[in-house]
Amino acid sequence: MTLQFKPDETFRNDFVYANSDEAVLRFPFPFPEDAYMYAVNIEPHVPGGPSPAYDNPFDLDEHYVAECRERAKVLEQDPGRCKVLPHMMAAQWDTLELIMESYAAAYPEHFALTRDGTLWTWENRPLGIRDTFTFGDASTLPLPPFEYITRQAQGDFTLQDQRDDNLFIDGGMVTTQADWSLDFDVGMTFHQWHGPVPLAHQKGVFDRALKFLLRLQYGRPVRRLNWTMTINPRLDTSPENYPSWGPDRTTVTPDNVGRKVHLRVELQSLFRLPRSNAILFGIRCYLCSIEDLARVEIWGKRLHRVLRDLHPDIADYKGLTRFRADAVRFLAPLDDGAPLPAGTAPGQSVLPAKG
Amino acid sequence: MLVSDIKSRPVYSRLSIDAAGRRHLVLSDAPRPLEAAIDGVHAAAGAIDYWFIAATSTVDGRPAPEPAAGKDAPIERRAFRALPHLLDRLSHRLAQETVGLRLYSVGEEGFIWDIARLARDAGLEEAELRSCHAGSLRRTVFCVHCKTRTPQVTTSLAVCEGCGAHLVVRDHFSRGLAAFMGVQADAEAPGELPPAEELFR
Amino acid sequence: MSARTMPLRVAAAEPLSPRLKAFTLVAADGGLVHPSGPGAHLRLLLRNGAAVHRNAYSIVSSPDDRSHVSIIVRRTRDSKGGSALLHEAVKPGDVIEAGLPANLFPVVRTARKHLMVSGGIGITPFLAYIAAFQAAGTPWELHHFCRIEERAVFEALLAHAPAGRVHIHAGNAFGVLADRLARQPLGTHLYSCGPALLMEAGQELARSLGWPKARLHSESFGGAAEGGAPFIAVLRRSNLEIEVGPQTSLLDAIEAAGVDAPCLCRGGACGQCVVEVAEGEPEHRDHFLDDDERASNRLIMTCVSRARTPRLVLDL
Repeated sequence: MTLQFKPDETFRNDFVYANSDEAVLRFPFPFPEDAYMYAVNIEPHVPGGPSPAYDNPFDLDEHYVAECRERAKVLEQDPGRCKVLPHMMAAQWDTLELIMESYAAAYPEHFALTRDGTLWTWENRPLGIRDTFTFGDASTLPLPPFEYITRQAQGDFTLQDQRDDNLFIDGGMVTTQADWSLDFDVGMTFHQWHGPVPLAHQKGVFDRALKFLLRLQYGRPVRRLNWTMTINPRLDTSPENYPSWGPDRTTVTPDNVGRKVHLRVELQSLFRLPRSNAILFGIRCYLCSIEDLARVEIWGKRLHRVLRDLHPDIADYKGLTRFRADAVRFLAPLDDGAPLPAGTAPGQSVLPAKG
Repeated sequence: MLVSDIKSRPVYSRLSIDAAGRRHLVLSDAPRPLEAAIDGVHAAAGAIDYWFIAATSTVDGRPAPEPAAGKDAPIERRAFRALPHLLDRLSHRLAQETVGLRLYSVGEEGFIWDIARLARDAGLEEAELRSCHAGSLRRTVFCVHCKTRTPQVTTSLAVCEGCGAHLVVRDHFSRGLAAFMGVQADAEAPGELPPAEELFR
Repeated sequence: MSARTMPLRVAAAEPLSPRLKAFTLVAADGGLVHPSGPGAHLRLLLRNGAAVHRNAYSIVSSPDDRSHVSIIVRRTRDSKGGSALLHEAVKPGDVIEAGLPANLFPVVRTARKHLMVSGGIGITPFLAYIAAFQAAGTPWELHHFCRIEERAVFEALLAHAPAGRVHIHAGNAFGVLADRLARQPLGTHLYSCGPALLMEAGQELARSLGWPKARLHSESFGGAAEGGAPFIAVLRRSNLEIEVGPQTSLLDAIEAAGVDAPCLCRGGACGQCVVEVAEGEPEHRDHFLDDDERASNRLIMTCVSRARTPRLVLDL
């Protein structure tokens, strides 16, 4: 499928944003069961699975160009959203190499990477970029390598350094986040930056995940899904700008809940980087209104059950408290209570017309 | 919003001399007796230096050595006029030091995390630094919206010195910023503020 | 990206001494080799008739150069295995299967200075270290210990390194280390590679001088245990008996037998693949089970764990 980009979409103010039917059907729906609880839901990041979103190391969709423009706007306001500690230079080049190679291989009609020894030429046609530079020599790029490539990539990224049997979040490009701050967390250990997550520590989720990640091997990336809900298709729900987006949560009414409330899914991928031995963490964000999601029959029913029965601590941590009841009421009439198949496949290949 | 049991909040235990260290430097933000600051002084292998802030101009930071008595390691005390006086001397000392040193700090959180940052910048590993809280629990709060640090906060709600926002003081602590996170309390519904409680006296 | 092995062609094989041989390997398809970092190793799959040797060798070439990858192979005295094969049978033009580079001996990027101590062939990872440190301008110091008769070989290997940083000690000169370890600036990290005795002695000396564990690093290929002694798994409900070979995981063997077993992470963390054990004793290698569950021997994570007993009866 050739990607049809929608460069004029916006993720703030007037919110000009919509998912095509194809985009809804390829949404990485995160609930394989009717109930949700934290778990180490990590699996090998190999092509295949219930959504084409899993087919490439880094997935692109119709929102790519608009998301890169949104990122540029955030960075103009707050350059600190991209921060890399000085000892991470090798990891910066690792990231550039991995994303360029992956994009060029997966989307050759849009990206090209040509190499002559260390002299590289990178072409990004959707964004109109063509640069020739010397790999390993940061002075030959217009920006530091990590910022250069992640400004052209869809989704947030963080860099984890591994030392002393721990992971340290020592860099990142974080402009489309679900309420966490890179500026505040940079340099923290694995357990410190996950500090605010309720319940999961007691369940040992982070101990197990850390041990697993310390052994993550080059060439064997893994992925997991995380989710929350966002009012309006807003990418930048950062703590920094909470005063700007926090009031959105009080604007939900029974009439607009289906259009306003979006399921926000993060397709998180983890790659061992070969030169630096650091780990690249990709956080690719997908937004879909619950009205659109409910056009997939199985998803509408399952989302209803998950939201209805969610542990209140998790609902509170994810910031759903003010509008959860409205969302459940919107979805309840669509749920006949019939048993649903396990898994996240949509179970249909076309969507009914918008009601 | 105020979630307790956050793993990033430091948990302190009383200081004791690390027997594996070859030289020991103990730092205190008040003139407390060395034995009150740290255990194991008499069992230490290697010399102990004890630097403390006397908060008076009548001291001069000169070393006052005590000869080793019996099997005890020698101890050298230095009184400093104020925090910058001590930090200035500490930077010089750490630049000369070799692997084998252990650093200890005791005092309010602002002090011990200033020391921790200096130590990290000098190349010390976490295992070579022990910190213990003593004195007031008041917090430095980092406003996540405007990046201002507001010191000496004792209440669950604080007014940011930079942007004036009413901040909820969370338990999420950044060692890099030596501060707790402050998030606007009434962002969702302006004016709806929870009562401020005095929690960090 | 998902391939777990790559074919490499031997471009050159050059003896450095009667017991050391340097190999230059290039991608068999003519492309670039996988990138790697200082301290990484390659695991070569060497076939000798029916026998397969999996030997790991440190990558000695500069990690930034993807045109080739170089290793140095030492022939051991009682060598019947892969090293002898490489010395005697492998010739330029041959194609060898190799795993992707992996790194169990990475450099500490926050270190202010790197102090390396090697013995004999243990120099190999440090050749890549030195290239990286020189490129980054980080201070470093190397102490290499070897037999008197091998001194010239190592001098030649290190000929390009700046004088003053490299110290080659031939014969019994270990005493020099105590003085150097006592004088390292804060922020120095110590790396050792070579005979076990040398590594242990160096680390013990450092500990006695107040070096904490976080500053001490040594090369070990043991790390991520894969494979082990073969055993028989009896799948009670499926009425099957399957052999789990030394290089296959229990989960892989179950899947190969056509039994649909639960799994997710394949790394012992997520807990999905847990199966009840009816008989036999598991060798637990996972991060999921707690101490009581391990001790009970009633549960096993099939993706990473194996058996201490020749037979394991599973509720599958």
